[in-house]
Amino acid sequence: MVVEIREKITPDSIYAPEVATITEIRSLTSTEKQFIVKIDDPQKREAFNFLPGQFVELTVFGVGEAPFSIPSSPNNRDFFELCIRNAGSVSGALHQMKEGSKVGIRGPFGNGYFPFEKMKNNNIVIIAGGLGMAPVRSLLLYILESRSSYKGLTLIYGCVEPGSILYRDEIEKLKNTGDIDVKLTVDRADREWSGNVGVCTKLIPELKYPPEDTCIVVCGPPVMYRFVIIELEGKKYDPEKIFLSLERRMECGVGKCNHCHIGDKLSCVDGPVFSLWDIKNLKEAI
Amino acid sequence: MLYKLLKKEDYREFINNLVLNYGVLGPKKINDAVHDFVPVSTADEIDLSYRRTTLPPAKKILFPSCESLVRYELSGSFKVLPVIESSRAILFGVSAWDINGMNFLDRIFSTDFLDDNYMQKRRKLTVIGFDCQPSDSNFAVAMGSEYANTGFDLFFTELEAGYFIRVATAKGASMLIDHSRAADATEGDFKSYNRFMESYRKKFKVRVDIKDFHDNFESVYNKNPLWDRLSKSCFSCGSCNLTCPTCFCFNVRDDVMINLKEGIKSRQWDSCMIPEYGLVAGGHNFRPSASNRLKQRYRCKLKTFVDKFGYFSCVGCGRCVEACLAQINIYEDINTIKKEVTV
Repeated sequence: MVVEIREKITPDSIYAPEVATITEIRSLTSTEKQFIVKIDDPQKREAFNFLPGQFVELTVFGVGEAPFSIPSSPNNRDFFELCIRNAGSVSGALHQMKEGSKVGIRGPFGNGYFPFEKMKNNNIVIIAGGLGMAPVRSLLLYILESRSSYKGLTLIYGCVEPGSILYRDEIEKLKNTGDIDVKLTVDRADREWSGNVGVCTKLIPELKYPPEDTCIVVCGPPVMYRFVIIELEGKKYDPEKIFLSLERRMECGVGKCNHCHIGDKLSCVDGPVFSLWDIKNLKEAI
Repeated sequence: MLYKLLKKEDYREFINNLVLNYGVLGPKKINDAVHDFVPVSTADEIDLSYRRTTLPPAKKILFPSCESLVRYELSGSFKVLPVIESSRAILFGVSAWDINGMNFLDRIFSTDFLDDNYMQKRRKLTVIGFDCQPSDSNFAVAMGSEYANTGFDLFFTELEAGYFIRVATAKGASMLIDHSRAADATEGDFKSYNRFMESYRKKFKVRVDIKDFHDNFESVYNKNPLWDRLSKSCFSCGSCNLTCPTCFCFNVRDDVMINLKEGIKSRQWDSCMIPEYGLVAGGHNFRPSASNRLKQRYRCKLKTFVDKFGYFSCVGCGRCVEACLAQINIYEDINTIKKEVTV
């Protein structure tokens, strides 16, 4: 066994968060809220550069810490957004917080992100299910901000019901710009809903982009991946051009606590975004 | 590497000098069943005839079961202060497999991100190894960890003529030279060292067929009836993880101090065998069954890190075998799994 120990004179903690302020809170649905977060220290704020698909570890002081992906555009340098469902102890405490409250931020983390540079000059298909919208929205906004570098752009977004569609007003506005083809679907329609009904997998056969120059991004609940992948492979899309963001339980975000392992990979340092090719033979990845 | 020989009559003086000058943690008999690495006040308290300690000595110091990471104020500017506690310590009498287990932890805590909570303690730790007697469930030879190449400052092997000492670091060398009358090892000492190692390896009675194991692990991964059978008696208690020298999974938690003005972020050992291990907010559990969790533990020990670092993350100490209330036995299971894939 060869052990490499890098020498460092001053100890430094990878677990110490930066203090940040929640500057704005907006309700997106009955269970999700959008938080705008600004790191207090101007130098640290300047140094906080994230890439689409990366995540932060957010501390609610005295309550706990949890990983959240960043749904805002990486071009926003002054603040970032978080889209958080009231689901656990940390997210529950966040939902109780008011504007001006302090939180702790570590990150951005993840060496695997959506490779937005390599994706240039390709058609882009973004497939999101429910809260899976959060990590892919960062990429979506980046692409819209440099629209001419990409070819066709399609968003397939499936939710349980119309009321649970995240950023609905924003998506409705996008539909009219001509920059993007938006396909929304819900599992359960209400009276006002006139769009697609059913899982988002059903919309994949309609895709017209050829496999050679199409990149596909997928994020959603664990059960969604298996079926989406079957559809995408059926249409002969290139596994090296399909990118999936994989959620796992995380405690540290820095490759130490081992909770997010997928075979010999760690979702926090090797991911959270993997190409389908990378994880094809990784047991229990999808 | 320097090679020295310390005469048996000089051993007590050397240890007592270390105790006097630095302080020593050594294997002490606590009761009829238990040995533990604790601070000793003289060489006589050290019992080198121990076969096993409940907790691995290096992990106990470097990666304690509960450890503060960060302190913060709960009002005003919410000042955040990293907590990194470390102190000088000498571990004397650590077995080769426990040193190899520590080497694995060193690699984990220094890969990708440097974990200073671990590394600061590691830099201040002096490790003196000793070829101690294997327990009945020890299969370190099969895992290739009955001999330590690195990770120690000094390594003692007891020969008839005295202690054959491998000196691996300058720190170890100066301790030995300043505080003992150790002489250079002679050709004859090397010969008796080689004879010792040959007979030492024969003391490990457990036979494990680990050859080509990690590749074949893949082919049994989806054989659920096999895993159901192996895990049938598992209580999901996590004793195997708690005693393991290479288990490193931990949870991070935040607590409010009793004065309600400060908070603390700390880490605690977690166990991949308990149901909450793979549970995420919202209720989805990535590892809901005991069968899946045992399979994952074996994969982590016997495959994952072969793919990643090039070696097993099981050192064969046998602690999990002895700690398991349900008598789940990793080396028997290795042999069972191996039979599944042998034609």
